[in-house]
Amino acid sequence: MKTNRFFYLIKGELIRLHKYKVTTVSLMIAIIWGVVLYFVEGDIFNSLLPFLILIDATMMSLMYIGSVMFFEKKESTISTMLVTPSKHSEIILSKIFANTIHNFFSTALIIIAFVLIKDIQINYFLIALAVIIATLFHTTIGLLLSYYQKDFTTMLTTIMSISFVLVIPSALYGFNILTADIWEYILLINPIQAAAEIINQSFKPIDLNWKYYFSIAYLVVGGILVYKYLVLSKFKKYAVSISGV
Amino acid sequence: MNNIFEVKDLKFKYHKKQENVLKGINFEIKEGEIFGFLGPSGAGKSTTQKVIIKILENYNGNILYKGKDLKSYDNQFFEDIGVSFEMPIHFSKMTAMENMSFFQQLYKKKADIQQLMTRVGLWEDKDKMVGEYSKGMKIRLNMVRALLNQPNMLFLDEPTNGLDPTNAKILKDLIREFRSEGGTVFITSHIMADIDQLCDRVAFIVEGEIKEIDSPRNLKIRYGQRVVKLEYSENSKIIEKEFPLENLGENKEFINLIKTKNIETIHSGETTLEDIFIKVTGVKLDNENQ
Repeated sequence: MKTNRFFYLIKGELIRLHKYKVTTVSLMIAIIWGVVLYFVEGDIFNSLLPFLILIDATMMSLMYIGSVMFFEKKESTISTMLVTPSKHSEIILSKIFANTIHNFFSTALIIIAFVLIKDIQINYFLIALAVIIATLFHTTIGLLLSYYQKDFTTMLTTIMSISFVLVIPSALYGFNILTADIWEYILLINPIQAAAEIINQSFKPIDLNWKYYFSIAYLVVGGILVYKYLVLSKFKKYAVSISGV
Repeated sequence: MNNIFEVKDLKFKYHKKQENVLKGINFEIKEGEIFGFLGPSGAGKSTTQKVIIKILENYNGNILYKGKDLKSYDNQFFEDIGVSFEMPIHFSKMTAMENMSFFQQLYKKKADIQQLMTRVGLWEDKDKMVGEYSKGMKIRLNMVRALLNQPNMLFLDEPTNGLDPTNAKILKDLIREFRSEGGTVFITSHIMADIDQLCDRVAFIVEGEIKEIDSPRNLKIRYGQRVVKLEYSENSKIIEKEFPLENLGENKEFINLIKTKNIETIHSGETTLEDIFIKVTGVKLDNENQ
């Protein structure tokens, strides 16, 4: 991988996130969530803040990368990337990294605002690590999903279905509605629950137990496998199929 | 001239399709020439171009680029070529300059963007969003995009389609300049006048098979009639006569007509590239697009 070119690709992706108003949308969402959290107190706040960070790092990552992919599909710009010296891995990783950087800053904005306004006990290193790992994994999944969706509306429908299947059980578990011990193990194979585990562990008191390490390993190894064997290997076929050139 | 591309027995089949789209085609592109690739829709023009610019893989046959198997080239191959697709391919919410600067950063060799954009008449509009560009402006920007890396070879898909005659001439002049500086051009188009004016050699592809390859001049001679047609006026009537080219200088009737009559028109019987296209492919061109 050529460092300079990779750097330019990431920079280009970040500029486009800004130009295509994805950054504006994510900042507005961060502000809306900030306002909501400002009026929430006590235990609900303590549950809601990690939950919103989780949604930002998981579902919103899927949506942001989906919107980028469909903008590019509409403008056939992936075709022209295929005839540059950029490697497919550089093109894909630049999108994943740019989306992660973008998401990291929108999440950081919420956290910083609440550190200043409210007394939050948080480990900055662990929350940064958690947000980065969760976003990297879900952006990779988002890329893969976009290969198989006809348009952004279909992608949104798919994301909503995934939300229903994956987020709801995790949310119910997070709000102590699902309380049986078995859920603790079943939900760990759910990447959103794994992301919830590592995000929750960033709030004090910190207890880095086996579930934390399992979740980190699951998201990192799972993300690498999805990237290598699905996203990267199917990229060329996808790019040619949408190119129309 | 050396061959820059040699295509031997190229066969290609799309996934899930029973039949080959390319059925064992053979051709070569010589270094420094403008090579036209013509054919009706679905004949295999775009597929051939996609294969030789490495967008489509899994073909059968041999393709040599500069004497080496095309498959042995990695992505550095793209440092050497420039591609202009038929459809405009740019980020619409970025300015033309931002688009060009972004793409250029991906290459080692860098052309002068200002010079190129000035040449195609876009420098004044460099800070406009591409989304605000007209179709013609986007097509001209495609050409700039293809030349950003100072390529040795250009692949142009319908480069003048949708352009008015003035802008089409600017692009054609640019293509000729590129060739005169040693560049090689592979061009697909259905605008026969452009092909006739630009190309050193043309190939006609029909249903995945190449039916003809030669220079436009040779094709016109081969498919045309070796006659001279002239029209003259006599007693307020236009009279048309036809004479064989053979020994024309000794044809007394012809010489007599030239000397004594009021000649209105005189033409050789060579045919047009469009007529040859129709004859070879069996498909009539869309008049609106010519």
